[in-house]
Amino acid sequence: MALPLPPGLTHPEVAFLAEMELVTVVPRQRLEPIDLLGGKTPPLRPPHRTDLPLWLALLLKKQRRANILPPPWLHPASLADIIHRETKVTPEAFSEPPPAPARADVSQPGRARRQGVDQEGDDGGIIMSAPFRPACTADAPAGYLPYHWQEVAEALLAHAGDDVTAGTAGATVSSAGEVRGLIRDLVEVRAAKMRSSTAQLEGFGAGLMSLRGVGAMELAESRGFVLGVVDGVRRIGASVEGARREAEEEREGEESDEDMGI
Amino acid sequence: MDIDDILREVDPTFHTIPQEKRDLQELTRAWTAERSAPELLPWPTSGLFERINDSIKHQIEKVEEMTGDMDPKTNFALIVIQTELERYRYLVRSYLRARIAKIDRHTLHYLSTDDLRARLSEMELAYATRHQALLHNHYLSSFLSSFPAGLQNLNDAAGGISMIETPDLDAAVFIRLLKDTFVTARGVDEDDAANMRESDIIILRWSDAKPLVEAGSAELV
Amino acid sequence: MSYYDIDSILTQSEKIPCTFQLDIPDLGYLDNTPTQPLKAGTKVNLPLWLAEMLVIANSGDAEGKSFVTFDLPPALGNDVVQALKADPRAVPLRDQSPHFYGLGTHMMDLSEEQEMAAVLRKTFVTRAAEVALHARKVGGVGHRGKGPEEGSNLGIGGAGEEFLRGLDEWERKLFRKAHDGAKSGKEWMEGVKKH
Repeated sequence: MALPLPPGLTHPEVAFLAEMELVTVVPRQRLEPIDLLGGKTPPLRPPHRTDLPLWLALLLKKQRRANILPPPWLHPASLADIIHRETKVTPEAFSEPPPAPARADVSQPGRARRQGVDQEGDDGGIIMSAPFRPACTADAPAGYLPYHWQEVAEALLAHAGDDVTAGTAGATVSSAGEVRGLIRDLVEVRAAKMRSSTAQLEGFGAGLMSLRGVGAMELAESRGFVLGVVDGVRRIGASVEGARREAEEEREGEESDEDMGI
Repeated sequence: MDIDDILREVDPTFHTIPQEKRDLQELTRAWTAERSAPELLPWPTSGLFERINDSIKHQIEKVEEMTGDMDPKTNFALIVIQTELERYRYLVRSYLRARIAKIDRHTLHYLSTDDLRARLSEMELAYATRHQALLHNHYLSSFLSSFPAGLQNLNDAAGGISMIETPDLDAAVFIRLLKDTFVTARGVDEDDAANMRESDIIILRWSDAKPLVEAGSAELV
Repeated sequence: MSYYDIDSILTQSEKIPCTFQLDIPDLGYLDNTPTQPLKAGTKVNLPLWLAEMLVIANSGDAEGKSFVTFDLPPALGNDVVQALKADPRAVPLRDQSPHFYGLGTHMMDLSEEQEMAAVLRKTFVTRAAEVALHARKVGGVGHRGKGPEEGSNLGIGGAGEEFLRGLDEWERKLFRKAHDGAKSGKEWMEGVKKH
């Protein structure tokens, strides 16, 4: 009954999440809207592009009802550019995640507003995030790997390989082998970064460490280990930390005594 | 006409994200959080699960209707509807099971104070209470009753160690910032405080991450 | 510490060298001399749980003289610490104690050991990187990259096995986590095409 899994999403669970990423399809057949729990699907009218969740796009693709437009970041030129930045420009860090899409707010000119942020107000509003913030559609920016990049790339290569190689509009036709090779290189480069981040953990004497730009699968693979190391460092340092806190409290106590003129 | 409708007329940007999409985001976020947090999180009081369970029920009824008149034209729509339905059911099931795993592991802890009990849904509370009673009776009849009276307790705290185990609230977690946020975190050698950016993915102690998650500035990943 | 945690219970039964500073009547059986009082100056190895209680209860007598003092167990002795400083990866921790770090944290709770805390932390993190490397290899995830770890002198056979045999319980858990992560990543990659 109870879920026998350790804390943190596993690979299959992450893959399940990634299937909710929106991708852009070009329908080959008409399809009337379907009343789904997540809302009505848009009507499919060839050759008009539509954004759909990946799981549905793959279903349509398997039935030859639609083609999938690969996201611009999956194009070989974009992947090569990202690899260049990951290795040459910022060899220490993961490349930047896609920027939060901003659009000018009509009611408040001059103030850019993030798309996907509900305007109910700060308290009741809900901020959308991966996989619900569009990052894998045809409109997504090139050169940025979204949180679910690896899952989406693998799924598209496996089930829509012909669409991936057909390339985006105006781009030269590439081979699936080329994209596959670039993805493999990228996985290697970033796995090495994940590994070297473990070395940084020794200095994890302070409480914060950022892995900005890391992907969901990369986290799933290293989560147990990395968190295990962080927890171990905390337990080994517990007595040192306790002593430091006591000393700090004493000092603060003295200072406040002085403040009060005692 | 309720307040939402009025607001929508006044401000066209209000609720640009439809309720269904917001519910799915919330459900997914609640599931990820429950799967990642070292302790049981409060049962959402927003009516989220009631809404989702209702729509799942309706959808099941619709599937039954549709299978009744098997028109090949609606066949594909049926496949899509069933696929999506299974995805929702998986999310809800996995969420509930992750919670039960935590309740089972630290039952006495979550039943120990009113604040902790308030985190459980009505059903979960009934389950935890009944399950604990069954377990206790079983222990009593199989071995506890042969112990000296003073050693029969399951909630002793003598000797500096409580028999009631609690989750490790300082366990490390990964969070993603949903907006630019000032983050403070305790460390071994020093405490850290920094302005962090939206989309930053951070490792820190759950006890330091919790206020950010509760304020909606961050989510567990 | 958790009440039902077996590792924690086992850690608590590790022996700690203690020295009694006072004559204690009727405690001779701790030193194989039942009927006799335990003489001041007697050295006895006591399990951690008992040593801990005696030290905590140790408010001392009227002159502030404590009735029991303790030394670090050999597992955390000076030669081990020096060896760890030289190369953390070369010391089979398990031979010192299967609960090496657990024991270390308990001892540091009892007496402030700033230096030991630093050495243990460095040891843990350095060895963790090595643990991850082996876990990936055993998990069957081949990687072609020429990462820095390729310079490690611990291959998959011989020295590698030796290293893994020397892991303490904390490190074994880490190994399992790293291994499971790598394995499940590989399974996912293989499964993508099937669905």
